Amino acid sequence: MSENVKKAPGFRQNMTAFMQKYKVGAFFQKYTMLIALVVVTIVFANWPGKQGLILLPPNITGLIAENAYVFVLATGMLMCILTGGNIDLSVGSVVCFSGAVGCTLMAQGVNIWITVLIMLAIGLLIGIFQGFWIAKLHVPAFIATLAGMYAFRGFTNVVMNGLRVDITNETFLNMFGSGKGSYIPDFIRSSNEAINGWFTKDNTTLVNLIGENYITKFNLTCMIFGLAAVIIFILMRVRKILIQRRLGISQSVPGQIISMVLIAAVMVWLFFQLSCYRGMPMVLIWIGLILGIYQYITTKTAMGRHLYAVGGNEKATALSGVKTRNVYWFAYANIGLLAGLAGILTAARGKGIDPTYGEGYEMDAIAACFIGGASAYGGTGKVSGMIIGALLMGVINKGMIIIGVDANFQKVVKGIVLLLAVMFDVMSKRQKR
Amino acid sequence: MDKTNILAALKKNAMLIVLVLVYLFFMILTQGGIFEPSSFTELINQNAYVFILGCGMLMCMLTGGNIDLSCGSFVCLVSAIGGIFMIVSGLGTGVSILLLLLIGVVYGCILGFLIAYIHIPPWIATLAGYLAFRGLGTFILSSNSTTGSLAPFPADFRNIFYGKIFPTEKGIFNIPCFVFGLVAAAIVLLTIFWTRRNRIKKGYEADTFGKAAIKGGLSAAVIILVMSRLAMDGGIPTTLLWVAGIVLIYSFITSKTTIGRHFYVVGGNIEAARLSGVNTKRIMFIAYLNMAVLTTIATMPVIARSNSAYANLGKNFEMDAISACVVGGVSASGGAGSVLGMVIGATLIGVINLGMSLISLDANYQRVVKGFVLLAAVVFDIVSKKKQK
Repeated sequence: MSENVKKAPGFRQNMTAFMQKYKVGAFFQKYTMLIALVVVTIVFANWPGKQGLILLPPNITGLIAENAYVFVLATGMLMCILTGGNIDLSVGSVVCFSGAVGCTLMAQGVNIWITVLIMLAIGLLIGIFQGFWIAKLHVPAFIATLAGMYAFRGFTNVVMNGLRVDITNETFLNMFGSGKGSYIPDFIRSSNEAINGWFTKDNTTLVNLIGENYITKFNLTCMIFGLAAVIIFILMRVRKILIQRRLGISQSVPGQIISMVLIAAVMVWLFFQLSCYRGMPMVLIWIGLILGIYQYITTKTAMGRHLYAVGGNEKATALSGVKTRNVYWFAYANIGLLAGLAGILTAARGKGIDPTYGEGYEMDAIAACFIGGASAYGGTGKVSGMIIGALLMGVINKGMIIIGVDANFQKVVKGIVLLLAVMFDVMSKRQKR
Repeated sequence: MDKTNILAALKKNAMLIVLVLVYLFFMILTQGGIFEPSSFTELINQNAYVFILGCGMLMCMLTGGNIDLSCGSFVCLVSAIGGIFMIVSGLGTGVSILLLLLIGVVYGCILGFLIAYIHIPPWIATLAGYLAFRGLGTFILSSNSTTGSLAPFPADFRNIFYGKIFPTEKGIFNIPCFVFGLVAAAIVLLTIFWTRRNRIKKGYEADTFGKAAIKGGLSAAVIILVMSRLAMDGGIPTTLLWVAGIVLIYSFITSKTTIGRHFYVVGGNIEAARLSGVNTKRIMFIAYLNMAVLTTIATMPVIARSNSAYANLGKNFEMDAISACVVGGVSASGGAGSVLGMVIGATLIGVINLGMSLISLDANYQRVVKGFVLLAAVVFDIVSKKKQK
């Protein structure tokens, strides 16, 4: 190396210097999955014969609604994985079981809010039950949850007699589902005639902005809500940068601003697409709420940080006074609760429950976490990474459906994507050591 | 014998006692149906895969509680490819079996490489296979047949894995089968006494003569009983020979060979094993290569029995194999367990399977029961170990 430095700098040296100065390698490593997400989306968007289909507003909304359970379950799974690469194989069965009980209760006319509470409680109780074995009796997590996976699938069939149960309750479907009624209505346009008057095909300014196809149905409330969210996001990011500067934490400021602008642009684009098609889906609010809460828990609360500590080094954590077994119990009780919520969303989306619903959900959740950069050995992983992982899986799923890949073959692709993501994680970690 | 001795003996053979109790329980429920000669044949044919997969899973679990979640789906894939070879392309039975084994070896090498040399956690590597192989198998089946299943398999293939040796009419006492049983019982009896003599000679602790006599006498009696019941149902099922052969081979490997003992060492303390010169990566590699090959072998009696390859074939097999090991006293954290224990576990799973299907219990309750048997076994294992400490 030292001999090379004496020579006149060639193209290679220039490149290396450039890459070191602007941390290009680190950038690629940090944002691999984000780049993969963009590339995959571009590939599907330019697929011969299916150009641009995946970016149409109904498909964007569909992508969110179809993957609602992935976001919710993966959030819970992330907490389990953080504690040391432990997983919960039972979530798919628990989703179906909570859905089955809920649908059966609603079919008998029980109040929907009581039903919702019962469904969440069932999930939580199962989580506490499984967590007890794992945390207190040291049963390996995959065995305890494997037993749960079979047992609760069996219980589901017992509850339903192997038959489908439908939901007819409109309130429930509108609150948690993804049918026509489950969007937030455009109350700004419907309450104000003057504003409503702008959205006609004669208004050339707006037609140029929105496009002729969507102008009359354009959901203004959703767009305004989206813009407000973007502004809040930018303010929070700016505040973070200012705090970092004051504390003297060295972070590349231009890099942060670029990523902030990019994320804001994607958010604006996303809300625009949603506004063009029926508006803000209710599921997006549930997803946003869950992601927000758990982003807060993992970054700002003691319990959240304990999850990372236990995954990093359980002995050291125990010696520093954390009751590590309770951290495990929390993680598994928590994923049970979220599986109950996912059961609500799944039942509402399917307008009922089939005994086969939820099969393979554990796989989707685990894959989202690992693709999103959670370590298979615990201790690292972020909610934001998991979101990208879930989106990548969602785009791959949707894309394969759009270009017409056989449903069975999609499973193969999912398996391979999961394996590649974990391989990437394991191998890049080894290089660092 | 004093009280503590009896308690210790009971505890040591807890699963054996549970097996007897469960058997008696189903005996009452089925009003003797489970003791019919045909039930014995069925017990072996229906559960051959549990024993064969159990051997492979045992080797994986010994290395540190690692499991293979993909074996059930791999059974589906192998059966689909077997259907393509034997039914669609009409390849000969021998060639087909060899090709299928080759596929098992290839998958085993890939899986073993990923786990041993790239350090992918086993349950993730095999979870990917769990999903991918089911999809691939279903894809192959549905693109080669309108019904989504391939049938029937050639008669000579079925005879090898689902036939009878020296068959006779049902109800007529089959002499070769009974003689085979007598010989096997004699060998078991001799082995037990021979081992005892050797141990005494070398100065190890050995069973008292009475204990050895009880052990040998009971084992011989059970073997003769089983074989005489099988003799009333047309003879020795070929499946039994496959199962017995594999169980004996793995019993030998785990107890008498260096490589077999290395599995225990790795599971006990991988770092210590590595420092004392054991090639730990190779052991992990072999464990998963071996598992994939055994999965291929286990597929044969399964498709010979069902006589068709279909998308749901092999569902939950991984569960049965893991349960057999854990129920049979294989430690969920590795380093402890024996083939004999696994065989008792597999028989218990088999009796539960058979008993539940004889009283035609709903398939869904069957899943619940199996889930709880697995959980109970793990908890029993862990709690009893805690007390020892």
